[in-house]
Amino acid sequence: MTDLFQYTPGTSPLHRMNPITKIVLTLAVCAAAFLTDNLFVLLFLLLFDLMIGVVGRVERKAFSIFKGLFKVSLFLFVLQALFVRRGNRLFWIVTDEGLLTAAAVVLRLLVVCLPLALVLAVTQVSDIAGALVQVLHVPYAYAFTLTTAIRFIPQFMEEMSGIMEAQTARGVEFDSKNFLKKLGMLLPLCAPLLISSVRRTQATATAAEVRGFALRTSRSGYRQYRFGAVDFMGFLVSAALVAGAVLIP
Amino acid sequence: MIDIQALTFRYEGAEKDALSDVTLTVPDGAFLGIIGPAGAGKTTLLHCMSGIIPHAYRGDFYGAVLLDGMDTADTRLTDLSRTAGTVFQDVDSQIVSSVVEDELLYGLENFGVPREEIEERLSFALEKVGIASLRHRTVSSLSGGQRQKVAIASLVALRPKLLLLDEPTGELDPGSSRQIFSLLRTLNREWGMTVVVVEQKIMLLCEFAQRLAVLSEGRVVRDGSVREVLGDIEGLEEIGVNCPRVARFSSLLSAKTGRKLPVCVNVDEAEAMAREVTA
Repeated sequence: MTDLFQYTPGTSPLHRMNPITKIVLTLAVCAAAFLTDNLFVLLFLLLFDLMIGVVGRVERKAFSIFKGLFKVSLFLFVLQALFVRRGNRLFWIVTDEGLLTAAAVVLRLLVVCLPLALVLAVTQVSDIAGALVQVLHVPYAYAFTLTTAIRFIPQFMEEMSGIMEAQTARGVEFDSKNFLKKLGMLLPLCAPLLISSVRRTQATATAAEVRGFALRTSRSGYRQYRFGAVDFMGFLVSAALVAGAVLIP
Repeated sequence: MIDIQALTFRYEGAEKDALSDVTLTVPDGAFLGIIGPAGAGKTTLLHCMSGIIPHAYRGDFYGAVLLDGMDTADTRLTDLSRTAGTVFQDVDSQIVSSVVEDELLYGLENFGVPREEIEERLSFALEKVGIASLRHRTVSSLSGGQRQKVAIASLVALRPKLLLLDEPTGELDPGSSRQIFSLLRTLNREWGMTVVVVEQKIMLLCEFAQRLAVLSEGRVVRDGSVREVLGDIEGLEEIGVNCPRVARFSSLLSAKTGRKLPVCVNVDEAEAMAREVTA
C-alpha cells in the first residue's frame, strides 16, 4: 500500500515525458472513460492503461494495482447487477442491462484508477508540483500542499508502526488475528498520531518559512520543464482517445 | 551579529518563563556553543536568535533581539532568514522534499540564488557533509543520521551569515559528529560564518567552539571562552552540565597538587600536564 504512491526510477519515454503531458494524458483517459458507454472502447482503454504500464516499465505495479482493485470491482459488479432493474430478466433478478451496466461501471473504475496511480509511479511528485507551478502557474502554496501530503505518507506509516511496536513491547496484542479486536486497539492511537502530525506540520511550515517559502514564484524552480517530441505524441494520443470515445457510439 | 537585550519569553499557556532576563552578545565570526541541562531553554534561545520566536510561536516576549541590526520582532521572518539559517532539532519536520537533491534545492530556489551558482553550491554542500552518494535517494529511505546530514547540508548550501544548529549531531555516530563539527569550523574560519550550536556532546564543543554559554532554568549562568567556563567544574556539575573528563582531570590535579593549573580541553593537553606534574 505504501509503495502505491512511490516513484519507480527509470528512463522510459514516460519518465522523460513532461509531467504536464502525463497529467493531460491521464485526464484524457478519464474523460474518455466517462464519455463512452461502449464496452469495447472501455476494454480498449483498459488495454491502453496496461500498455502504459509496460512502456513505463512499471507493469508489475500496474498488475498489482489491478489485483488490488479486483475485490472492489467484484463487489461493485454484483451490486450493480442486482440493483439495475431495467432490461430483460435473464435469471433470478438479474437482467441483461444490469450485467452490461455493471461491466461498464467496473471497467470504468479500473480504467480511471490505473493511470492515476501509474503517473505517480513514473513521475516524482516534486516534478509534478514543479511543472504545475512553472508551466501552468499554479500558486506555489497549492503545489506545496500536494508534495507535503505525499511526503507525509511514509512518515505517517513509520510513526504508526513505531507507536504500535512500542505498545506491543508493553504487552498490547497488536499481532492478534482478530480484525475487530485489532481495530479496537488501533482506534485509541489515532488521537496521539493526529496530535503529533499536526505539531509536525506546524514545525514543517516554520521550517519552510525560514527557507524562503514566501519568496517562491513560478520562476523559482531550478529544473526546467520543456516539451519535446514525446510530449507532442502524448498530446496527440490524448486527443485521439477523447475523440474516439465521443465518435464511436 | 546577535545582540540579545534583557530577553524574557514565556510560551503561551506555560506557567514558567522559558527564558528570563537573558542578555547575550554574539559578535560577528564567533563560534558559540550553548550547553545546559534538558529544559534549560536552549532551543527557545536559538529560536529567539533566528526570529522564529516571536514569529512562529505565541507567548509573552519582553526585551529585544537584534539580528545583524534588525529587530527580530519588527522584521519579517523571511527577511531574517536571509541572514540566519536554522537546523532544527527535529530533522523530520525540517525536511520538506521527498528527494535529497530537492531538499537542498529548496532554499536555493526560494532565495533566488543565480542558476549558474546552484550546482556548485549543491555539490559543495553534499561533498562537505559527506552525503554526495545520497544525492538522488528518497528521504524516506534514509536513516536518522543520514537525514540529519541532509538537513545540515540544505542549510550549508544557503551560506547564511549566521548558522544556528540545534543538536546537529543528535543522531550521528562519533565519526560523523566530528566531521560535522570540523565542517562548522571550516565555515566559521574560512567563510567567516557566525556559528551558534546547541549541543549535548560537550567534548566536541570544547574542542571546536571558541565560546561557551551555559543555560540553566532559562538564564545564562556562564558565558565566556571555553577555558573560562570550564574553570569552574564544581559550579557546572551543580547546574547539571556534564564536564569533559580532561577538564575534571586538570581540576583534580590542581586540587591535589595545590597548584593553580590551567584547564585542559583535550587529551593532549591533559597528557602534557600529567607529565609535567609527575616530572
